Amino acid sequence: MTPKRLGPWRAVAILGLLSTLGALQWAAPAAAQDWFRTGTGLGVSKPTVAVADLASRSGDSATTASLFSEVVRNDLDFSGIITLASKSFYPTQMPSVPGELNYKAWSDAPVSAQFLAFGNATVTGTTEEIQAWFYDVKNSSAPAVVGRVYHGDATEEQTRRFAHQFADEIIARLSGGVPGVASTQIAFVSGRSGNKEIWAMDYDGANQHKLTSLHSIALTPRWSPDATRIAFTCYPTAGSILSAQICVYSDVTSRLLNWAHYRGTNSSPAWSPDGTKIMFMSSMFGNPELFVAEADGTRPRRVTHSTGADTSAAYNPKTGQQVAFVSDRDGLPQLYTMDVDGGDVTKIPLPDMGYVIDPAWSPNGQLLAFSWRRPSGNYDLYVMDIASHALVELTRDAGRNERPSWAPDGRHLVFESTRTGTRQIWSMLADGTSPRELTAQGQNESPNWSPK
Amino acid sequence: MTPVSAAIAIRDQSLKGPLLWSIVLHSLLFGSMIVSTFVSHRGDLWSGSAGGGAVSVKLVGGLAGVPLPRPETVTTNRVVDESKGLYKPEPKPKPKAPPPDAAQIPQFSKEKQPHYVTRPSKTLEDPTPPPQNAVPYGGGGAPAVPYSQFALGAGGSPNAGMQFGSQGGGGDFGSRYSWYVDAVQRRVSSNWLQSTVDPAVRFAPRAVVTFDILRNGAIANVQILQTSGNVSVDTSVVRAVQGSNPLQPLPGDYSGNKVSVEFWFDFQR
Repeated sequence: MTPKRLGPWRAVAILGLLSTLGALQWAAPAAAQDWFRTGTGLGVSKPTVAVADLASRSGDSATTASLFSEVVRNDLDFSGIITLASKSFYPTQMPSVPGELNYKAWSDAPVSAQFLAFGNATVTGTTEEIQAWFYDVKNSSAPAVVGRVYHGDATEEQTRRFAHQFADEIIARLSGGVPGVASTQIAFVSGRSGNKEIWAMDYDGANQHKLTSLHSIALTPRWSPDATRIAFTCYPTAGSILSAQICVYSDVTSRLLNWAHYRGTNSSPAWSPDGTKIMFMSSMFGNPELFVAEADGTRPRRVTHSTGADTSAAYNPKTGQQVAFVSDRDGLPQLYTMDVDGGDVTKIPLPDMGYVIDPAWSPNGQLLAFSWRRPSGNYDLYVMDIASHALVELTRDAGRNERPSWAPDGRHLVFESTRTGTRQIWSMLADGTSPRELTAQGQNESPNWSPK
Repeated sequence: MTPVSAAIAIRDQSLKGPLLWSIVLHSLLFGSMIVSTFVSHRGDLWSGSAGGGAVSVKLVGGLAGVPLPRPETVTTNRVVDESKGLYKPEPKPKPKAPPPDAAQIPQFSKEKQPHYVTRPSKTLEDPTPPPQNAVPYGGGGAPAVPYSQFALGAGGSPNAGMQFGSQGGGGDFGSRYSWYVDAVQRRVSSNWLQSTVDPAVRFAPRAVVTFDILRNGAIANVQILQTSGNVSVDTSVVRAVQGSNPLQPLPGDYSGNKVSVEFWFDFQR
């Protein structure tokens, strides 16, 4: 046998070897890369969640434990993304630590929960410790979704804060990364102290407290995008003449910041999404027009030029390049959009006549909420998809509903309503369901949801 | 032996040729190993993942009307046979050589076979003992193959499609973190707006998009795996995925750097 005659056989042998090697490489699945497959057709399904009562580990922690579970339950119920399992179906044995959890009792009928929040609370002296877990009870092999230990002062306020944080954590996990709004604040105007002052409260109406004490009139609060300041319309006493000006309150120092004063009436401030500019209405040149100034009030520039009054500007929070505002240049107050520099003014078409005011952009910049008084009725809230101009009516036959403001999750709205006879602050899901009254004392109006 | 043939013999013994072949083959081997690490193997449908939903059910147990045969289970009699494993034929005993002093029996051509002698039964009197490591017929128990185990996609909604897969194994992200899968599904679904699709479109075939979720929740490598055939649906689908960026960071106890997702969309007005 000569090497020449071996050649083809060798080649065949090598090819065979190589193909075997290749097949081996392909056959061994690369376990390093995980993947999953999912999809969507119609609608979004909500998971069912149960919240067990927190176990009280010491004699005086019973109120802390029940308050914590109650607040978490409320937060989850109002999140709009889950179904809360009815409490009357809960098993009698409430787990306080993961070892005591009976998965089957919670995941089977009648509770039929997919997730369970549980934990325990201990109060020692003036400090409290809360251990809380959120478990996937349908997946007993890897159930832990959230586990947290909270440590702080044993006060009701602190317990509420912990509960809100825990609920936010759960909501963020279940909604795929959209932060919850349980820790956010709502600024509003209340006249319960005798003068209209700026107040703030938790998003669920708890912890209402007064921010300003100007003893005149304060209106239209607007949180800055970093939630450290509130711009509003104020009436500082300059001699004997009251003139509307823009004021900015700092939530950090609890004081008013210096803001330039201008001639005429200045009102309805709006922050640009980057927080560097404030657009406001001013009649410094006679006709009420929109101006934009730096965040400290300097270098005002005129933006609109029309014969009518232009007011109530709102920046598109997503792009920062588009502004919705109210103008009566065609007779009645109507909604318009324009570029930030005042170009490309477009009227938003509506299928009916009437007053249209209070534009508010959703955080994703795709929806515009506003209040509209149609010739046939009262002021009601509407949401418009700005690309297709499709309309959804959110309120009807329930008093006057005005001044909507979006929560940062884009799932909730806060507004003022007279449906109970007095003007109060209400919040609801952005589809108009589950309205909740947040205030009850005095007259309250003009709410604004903090961006974080 | 002539000097020439001696020289040829020496040249034939040199290591140059085999060494060359050895280097070539080794480099090919390593090359194929390196290439295989870059080619991402996406798992296979049968044993890949059970992702796509929290509801994981046995087809046979859950759907009473489906006449799928359950794998036959035969209990092993452990007293009789403790052995496990595969049948391995043992070498047959060699026939013994006849003793050297044996004389051959003379054969008579006309000798008649007695007609009453029957052939011995081979089945009953097989002299070879059964091998020690054989599993008797039907004795091995249920085979360890995932029979009709499947996961219902998209949070258990009936039109969400189903897929086969086994629990555990390499790609078990979907079964370990089904809450995360559901959350991704919910987020992308809620960002898929009907208004972004051309109003004239009433129905579109399924579009499939693939993307990666990085450790911090960021979405990367958004690609259309299967087009719906309609540009506006495809655009809205990609926009729904990109509008969900960033997602929730991957679960803290998950060790991988990224997770690949195959997301399908069925559009119907």
